[in-house]
Amino acid sequence: MLLKAKTREALIGYLFAAPIILSVLMFEFYPIITAVFYSFTQYQPLQAQQLNNTIVPEDTLSMNLMVFPDEPGLTVESLQDDFDLEFFIETDVGITLSERQREALQYFNTERLLTDFLEGKLKEEVSIKDFMSVYLKREANLFVKYKPKIVGLENFAKLLDDQYFWLSLKNTVVYTAIVVPIQTFLAVILAVVANRGIKGRQLFKIIFFLPAVTSSAALSMIFKLIYAKPGVLNKLLNLSVDWLQNPSTALIAIMIMNIWSTAGYFMVTYLAGLQNIPKSLYEASEIDGANFRTRFTKITLPLLRPQILFVSTMGIIGCMQVFDQIYFLIKNMRNITLAFYIYRNAFEYSKMGYASALSMVLFALILIITFAQKKFIKEESYF
Amino acid sequence: MSLNKKFRMSLIAAYIVLIGYCVLTLFPFLWSMSVSLTPMTYENDQGVRVGVDIMKWPPGINLFKFEFFNAPGTFENYVEVFKLVPFARWILNTVIYAVVVTLGNIFLDALGGYAFARLKFPLKNFWFTCFLATLMLPMHVKMIPMYNMMVDYGLVNTYWGLFVPKLTQVFGLFMMRQFFMGLPISVEEAAKLDGASIFTTFFKIILPMTKPAIAALSIYVFMGTWNDFLWPLLMTSKKEMFTLTMGLNFFNGTYYTYWQFMMAASIMITLPMIAIFISFQKQFIDSGITAGVKG
Repeated sequence: MLLKAKTREALIGYLFAAPIILSVLMFEFYPIITAVFYSFTQYQPLQAQQLNNTIVPEDTLSMNLMVFPDEPGLTVESLQDDFDLEFFIETDVGITLSERQREALQYFNTERLLTDFLEGKLKEEVSIKDFMSVYLKREANLFVKYKPKIVGLENFAKLLDDQYFWLSLKNTVVYTAIVVPIQTFLAVILAVVANRGIKGRQLFKIIFFLPAVTSSAALSMIFKLIYAKPGVLNKLLNLSVDWLQNPSTALIAIMIMNIWSTAGYFMVTYLAGLQNIPKSLYEASEIDGANFRTRFTKITLPLLRPQILFVSTMGIIGCMQVFDQIYFLIKNMRNITLAFYIYRNAFEYSKMGYASALSMVLFALILIITFAQKKFIKEESYF
Repeated sequence: MSLNKKFRMSLIAAYIVLIGYCVLTLFPFLWSMSVSLTPMTYENDQGVRVGVDIMKWPPGINLFKFEFFNAPGTFENYVEVFKLVPFARWILNTVIYAVVVTLGNIFLDALGGYAFARLKFPLKNFWFTCFLATLMLPMHVKMIPMYNMMVDYGLVNTYWGLFVPKLTQVFGLFMMRQFFMGLPISVEEAAKLDGASIFTTFFKIILPMTKPAIAALSIYVFMGTWNDFLWPLLMTSKKEMFTLTMGLNFFNGTYYTYWQFMMAASIMITLPMIAIFISFQKQFIDSGITAGVKG
């Protein structure tokens, strides 16, 4: 059967776009919605993990009851007398029970469990959630999927009192406020300098670009060597500063590293923009007797404005999320950034709800900057 | 001063600035390379085995004699890294991660890009706006739910967990869409008149014309994935699943003082990217995808 051309096109359109639509739904939309939800909860990943742990029920029960199932004279009734279900679940199975889970235990089929135990049906290793769903007559879903406890705005209230949050926010803002202007200034100057009859411009471009193609991990290691207390930087400057260990210099060290690693490739972007400025403009201004500074402020900067706005916004957004270098090089809490503090809460302190609340702050900051940029630039940028 | 002389002076000043910045850019690389070529110990003139202090000053680097820190240069550290840690496995993991993600992006972003550039389907604008909105989602906001998702599916410490979320990229889709929109529509109309289906048109006619865009996208994605740290940090905890950046992190924690090995490993991670970059510099620098290389 031949479909109508329009329907066919729509079908093929969806076929082509399906993978990326699916991927965006799964890895962009689902995560952001879930993150918003998490930020109102107390999410303990360790408890979530507990449900995936496995047990051999027979061994676990043997341990609790201190008998083996094949011992003679055992009956379900005799075992039931000594059996404390809550204690068994919490201590031997190993789940930290929430209030609702504790209540749900009234639906636990203890009789069946003990019967199976005596009949030797429990020798196989199972995950805790499978085990619980077999024996719970109702509300088994409480043990199948971990449900974070909803706490409303508690995380956000806690955040306001958290000195480390304010510190990380301050560090992030200071970091961005210092790095972006300097890297932009440096990149524009380098671009202007290179935008003349310079021989070997391509070679300069390649060299300036090198840090941008190097992984942050390798750059961190290289700078760790350079910043070391007996290292080359101190030798060259005749100083004895422990750049990365000293809380008052560590963030500055990371800033310098970041400026160094980005100014070059920003410069390449600006250079492309400069080459689009018609030469005739400069020639005309020269005839009018304009000097270098006038030409720079009256021609170059205004015509480079869209690029500067676009690139510096990318710079701001990148700086706000600075993480890798902090993870590799910063060892003290006084120099942490927001992105790092989010990571630390989620994956080191196991407080995913609180970390999500922190991540909302980062998200808000980035939203504000993106919208501010949209307001500033009316021109079509990349898209 | 005559105008000509003034011009020459300013040109010289320009060269000084540029060369100065080149030195500044290259210095950390060259320094770490020197350290990576320095032996841990060597036999001195008296035949006594002595250790090398890579923090000594002056550094005693003599390239003509291939001497670093007054010790004869060696490539031994590069070999030693492979014995010390499962470096070969990390290279393999990184190659798998980067290649699969790049292939996924080339194929899926191009398909999607074509659909959004040329085909009409319901809700197209809605999806497009949705995609635009995702561009400003920071990874640090998404990472917790994404991590939990991977835990639920049991994909932590697997290749699937590493690359599945990275197989498409909205940025890549926009890039490909932009490219397709720039192609003359007459080609497709001619194909349509000849009775070619949309499939034939796309695979036989359009894709071959897309080489420059695909080249730029692949380099961008490959480098981004090779250098990626955050996602491997979340997805891998077993040594045999590490990517190279995670491997460096392992060095950072463990072999704290073995600068030579650390630098050899850093250089080995970096060199392939520099090689790719230099061979494809034209596509890379001129493609306009320079901003946002660093995630």
